[in-house]
Amino acid sequence: MKGFFSSALARGLFWQLIGTLVGAGLVTGIRALMGLTATDTFFFTEPAWVLGGFLGVLFFLVGSGVTSDWIKWARGIDTPDHHEDHHTGWDKYANVSLDHKVIGIQYTLVALALISIGGLFALIFRAELAASQLQFLTLDIKLFGQNGPQLYNTLMSLHGMIMIVSILLGISGIINYVVPLLLGAQDMAFPRLNAFSYWIAVPAAVLLLMSLVLGGFDTGWTGYPPLSARAPVGMQMFFLGVFTAGWSSILGSLNVLVTVVRMRSKGMTAMRMPILVWAAIATSLIALTATQLIGLSFQSVMFQRLFGMGFYDAAKGGNPVLFQHLFWFYSHPAVYVFILPGLGVISELLPVFVRKPLFGYRWIAMSSLGIALVGFVVWAHHMFTSGMNEYLRVPFMYSTLLVAVPTGVKFFSWVATLWKGKISTPTPMLFVLGGIIVFLMGGLSGPPNATVSTDLHLHDTYFIVGHFHDTIFGGFVFPFFAAIYYWFPKATGRRMNETLGKIHFWLMTPSFFVLTFGMMYVGLLGMRRRIADYDPALGIDSAHLVLTIAGFLIALSVLIFFYNFFKSIKSGEKAEGNVWNSRSPEWQVPSPMPVHNYEQPFEVVGEPYDYGLKDAGYVKFIEPDKGTHK
Amino acid sequence: MSHSQDKSSALGQGVVIFVYLAVLTVLEFFVAVSFEAVPLLLVVAVIKAALVMYYYMHIYKLNQEDGTDEHSYEYKTGSNRLGLWLFLLSDAFVFGGLMVMRVNLLGNTRPEALNQVLGLLVTAVLLVSSFFMNRGETAMAHGDTKSFMNNTLITFVLGLGFFLGVIFVEWPEAAHEGLTVFSGTPATGPMGGVFYFMTGMHAFHVLTGLIFLAVVWNNARKGIYTAEKHWGVEAAAVYWHFVDLVWIFFYPALYLIGTAVALK
Ligand code: HEM
Ligand SMILES: [Cu+2]
Repeated sequence: MKGFFSSALARGLFWQLIGTLVGAGLVTGIRALMGLTATDTFFFTEPAWVLGGFLGVLFFLVGSGVTSDWIKWARGIDTPDHHEDHHTGWDKYANVSLDHKVIGIQYTLVALALISIGGLFALIFRAELAASQLQFLTLDIKLFGQNGPQLYNTLMSLHGMIMIVSILLGISGIINYVVPLLLGAQDMAFPRLNAFSYWIAVPAAVLLLMSLVLGGFDTGWTGYPPLSARAPVGMQMFFLGVFTAGWSSILGSLNVLVTVVRMRSKGMTAMRMPILVWAAIATSLIALTATQLIGLSFQSVMFQRLFGMGFYDAAKGGNPVLFQHLFWFYSHPAVYVFILPGLGVISELLPVFVRKPLFGYRWIAMSSLGIALVGFVVWAHHMFTSGMNEYLRVPFMYSTLLVAVPTGVKFFSWVATLWKGKISTPTPMLFVLGGIIVFLMGGLSGPPNATVSTDLHLHDTYFIVGHFHDTIFGGFVFPFFAAIYYWFPKATGRRMNETLGKIHFWLMTPSFFVLTFGMMYVGLLGMRRRIADYDPALGIDSAHLVLTIAGFLIALSVLIFFYNFFKSIKSGEKAEGNVWNSRSPEWQVPSPMPVHNYEQPFEVVGEPYDYGLKDAGYVKFIEPDKGTHK
Repeated sequence: MSHSQDKSSALGQGVVIFVYLAVLTVLEFFVAVSFEAVPLLLVVAVIKAALVMYYYMHIYKLNQEDGTDEHSYEYKTGSNRLGLWLFLLSDAFVFGGLMVMRVNLLGNTRPEALNQVLGLLVTAVLLVSSFFMNRGETAMAHGDTKSFMNNTLITFVLGLGFFLGVIFVEWPEAAHEGLTVFSGTPATGPMGGVFYFMTGMHAFHVLTGLIFLAVVWNNARKGIYTAEKHWGVEAAAVYWHFVDLVWIFFYPALYLIGTAVALK
């Protein structure tokens, strides 16, 4: 515990608190001097909370020490390329490290923490939905300035955004840990920026959670004005939190792109890069650019609230539909940010457990880019009922349906890879197969939403909720678990327990199908999204009860995962060699991975996925004496 | 350093490009006051942007060979350069989004309240500052720290002039003419919001650019840059030109295109 209080994490949080108070105090003082009201429902006024929240982030970053090398550089002082980590055990992850492997694990741990928080919120509001009428989130309870249904809305909205942030951090975790290893690089191109990208996500998560206690907000994760222009202060904390988390995503992707372009091993031409690397490129291109637009859209509502600018205020000639365009210009492509790395993981692991070459490597590599590019021109399919110009509907319908083409390419490749393979099914492979099937369900439920005539009925129903949970679980959650089970031995030198892993899988998967098919079912029968209650006359009470039970079973399976995870770190079966018999370079060296990755550089001499072919090596380590230093 | 031209021809090129840019800006202004020609203004802005990106920001350097030794300064500079350009690409989406907001909310109109002379003046100041920035960077690339510092100081003063001009002259003047942050009616669109958001976001970037300039100036004073090793200088310069580049589009978007509409 003593270690924790002197860690960068604790210091950062402490300084965030100070920064918040300083910022809020400053505004309050100025307001008092100007004779304006200085306090409000949540003690400080809204502008005070906003400046406080903002300064809190800055103070966190400086206070945690993640910017100290840059501050030295600005003063003309040089710093060594690498800092030796003197922390051990958990302390290593609570302190600033420049090692991409440590940062990858930090990301993963925070992602898991956020999944737990977001999941907890879901359990709470799912319990309320178990029967019609209000049971415990009633009108007369009062918590954090909200009554029951308002609290329902806040929890539902935060569930959405916290899960999204956890996905962004989760993919960064996988990419950070694995991509440099696949490339044969010693680290990311910019280790300090890498650490910064991770650390800035921590105060962002704090801001998101602050919104819960500062009155909450009831817009859902999309934050549409005009509602968001008049929701409680919590709305502003939400905007600020998302804006801050966005920088993590933007700077992280910048780093990934430069790393891939500049730090590949000898011989790793574009068409010999692992598929996960291609997926990382596609994801990063979207996150680097489109993220700015959600930042801008949220910022403009913030300013409308703070300064009275009229962007989305019809009385001043503003246009609320504009917000939706800006928002979805990010938030549609963002769904590909969530899934492309996961699909990359599927393509990466499948051949290992099928012992056959990946079918159609080039097509798969290009399909990631194809999805990313087409993904930029489909955003208005979220707005078919929003009152945008009607002539826009048909082009957006067709562009959306077009996405199914590159996505279909991936499916054909996976199926063809599985065909007549020597399939084995340890836990990671189970999650890969589960991911494929679940994602297929998501993909099949997409086109009805993309088709204008059907979406006019489906929009804002639980059908949509079922659809995107399928896509997100198939494209992210299942592959994320697969990746953790698969690379766990690489990171720790131990294996996770197989039996518990299988229980996790066989409990989660059927429950999950019940959950999402059930969501689609009640949606078709008239259940609206984002609402605490429903009409008993709809006759969906018992269906909702089943959904709630399924939700709790998923939570139970994740608890089993956590138990397995922490237990295996300490006492899992030792696994220091090439556990999965993989061709990938990181498995050719002992586990856990040495601090500076590869002692000897390697050269790529073959195709990455030629499993089962004779004499077909992928990488060859360059002997130190013979090989010329590249 | 085979790729760099000799110093006087590099400086000369800076002058020529500056003259082109100045002529185009004047042309743009007169086109706008004489007749409605949005496409023409767009073409002029794109030409100006291309000139700045090529001759001042040296975008072609992204393509430069920098050896294979990953630990050399040269190789790292190549990576840094790519990183910086990706950052600018990302940032360009913010400004692009602002442009979309402007077009969507105001369409083919602009606020009448803006002072045209003032607009042209701040534009000129920013353009001249880019010219001196280019001279400064060229000097540093030839190892001339003294000249770098002088030129950067001029850039800094001009940039500060721009920043203060926008915040303390242009804004109050616009507000005085009735264009405040709240301004806007269903007939005009939220003109105040759009104007202050766009200029404010740009001014914020000018401010960060100024901080960056101050940092490299101070480091140059300590003598840490050489002809071969001055990535910090290059980065500050490219960033500064980028801020200018944004204004090349924002200036016509706010001051020149469309019909001037009074608020009341
Ligand atoms: C074949 C591919 C897909 C198609 C055709 C498709 C189509 C659509 C359409 C048209 C909507 C809007 C429905 C409405 O609100 O009325 C929608 C919603 C959504 N989709 Fe998809 N989608 C596809 C794949 C994906 C993927 C891969 C993901 C994410 C990983 C995803 C995540 C979402 C989310 C999160 C929403 C709900 C957004 C909200 O309103 O909160 N979709 N989808
Ligand atoms: Cu979409």
